Amino acid sequence: MNQQLLAKTFVELADNLVADFDLIDFLRLLTDRCVGMLGASAAGVLLADRDGELRVMAASDEQVRLLELFQLQNDEGPCLECFRTGTQVIVPDLTREVDRWPRFVTVAHHSGFGAVQALPMRLRDETVGALNLFRAAPGPFDPAATLIAQALADVATISLLQQRTTHRSTVLNEQLQTALNSRVLIEQAKGKLAERQGIDMEQAFTALRGYARAHNRRLADVARAFIDDSERFPGLCT
Amino acid sequence: MRPHRRSARIQALVAEQAARRGTQVGVVDVCTAAVAALPVGGAGLSAMSRTTPSHQLCSTDAISEQLEELQLTLGEGPCVDAFLHGSAILAPDLLTGGLQDRWTVFADAALEAGARAVFAFPLQIGAISPGVLDLYADVPTVLDAEELADALAFADLATLLLLDTRIDETGAATGGPLPDRCFEDLGGYRPEIDQATGILTVQLGVGIDEAFVRLRAYAYTQGRRLAEVAADVVAHRLRFSPDTEPRRTDEET
Repeated sequence: MNQQLLAKTFVELADNLVADFDLIDFLRLLTDRCVGMLGASAAGVLLADRDGELRVMAASDEQVRLLELFQLQNDEGPCLECFRTGTQVIVPDLTREVDRWPRFVTVAHHSGFGAVQALPMRLRDETVGALNLFRAAPGPFDPAATLIAQALADVATISLLQQRTTHRSTVLNEQLQTALNSRVLIEQAKGKLAERQGIDMEQAFTALRGYARAHNRRLADVARAFIDDSERFPGLCT
Repeated sequence: MRPHRRSARIQALVAEQAARRGTQVGVVDVCTAAVAALPVGGAGLSAMSRTTPSHQLCSTDAISEQLEELQLTLGEGPCVDAFLHGSAILAPDLLTGGLQDRWTVFADAALEAGARAVFAFPLQIGAISPGVLDLYADVPTVLDAEELADALAFADLATLLLLDTRIDETGAATGGPLPDRCFEDLGGYRPEIDQATGILTVQLGVGIDEAFVRLRAYAYTQGRRLAEVAADVVAHRLRFSPDTEPRRTDEET
């Protein structure tokens, strides 16, 4: 592992974790670094809603297919197991787990993934979600990389707390619900932009995020204004 | 708890209230069921919008009615904050100094009216936010995690019921009470539903609320699951247009 890249990543994440940060943009940055730095083929942050249903908060790729693969794990898969037990689930070779998770393994294989790990996001005694990493090639995970991945999962958890402080809410449950609603907002905005511009969901997400960054605004605020048609978005739509 | 379990339980509680009234389920039943299930004295619901004046829809008692009216008149209070911030506002005791500073007029007026704790839950699905559910108690009250989760589930159901009243307005009514299965999608989140809603705003040239209503209306009339219809829209297998019936296409992308 490249030490310099690692240091740079944590500095970058810390820099982003300031008062007016956007949770989803931040988590996306984190999943991107899992791919760029830890050699994952895809990564996602999943958060449990009030009923313990895992929902994707951020993914290194916004294509429907990948989101489905994360979401599917509400029925079976490493993420669900990790969330239920609060411990790491590491699967170096998915083909060996067909009996354990028949449906998940099939879909993961179909999407080109051979190995997976799920790391818990723990807040005090409570597991609030999981960081899910996929790799194309089967084989053992580097223990050093797993340590770093777990540190990133912890950073993701801290970012939830950060959002909570910003909103002065005292109730975690409610705060997670608000975070999940911003994700819904962004899905709606992606749909609208993708349809209007004839682009795919990943391109739509990238464009919305790029616009928010270029204008120094929170992604969720841009998404809402875009849906409400409450302002013009030069450069975002033709 | 599996997601559909809480939703199903909350739906049953609300349906029970409607049965007692001998009529179709409405938002008022959410209010009465919430009061029966939670440690609160009353509930009220207001329709809110960023573009048109807000108005009260229902309340379970005189105090609730007064609280709704106060907030809409004063333009401050938990329900106003819940709507603006898109998050639940929990005020376990209005005598707390910070709350008195936050709602200078409302806090005293609400205490005067007989409320001591107030809770406001936005009705929302992303950018769709048609109103707020308010609860109050006449003694200091803290909702525990389970009660809070139930309150959020009541708010979710109220959101769908409120939006469903618009199905009639779009002329896509099913002509009778909506079948029980229409709320199946409360449990089990699927991002395609939200993406499809965004896509429909463009295909139909309508706002996000109506796009969602139209998507659901289509699913009912076709007797299909909302998640399935949404997946078809996202995959470009189904296209809506303002003037004609939605049509299926064979185009796969």
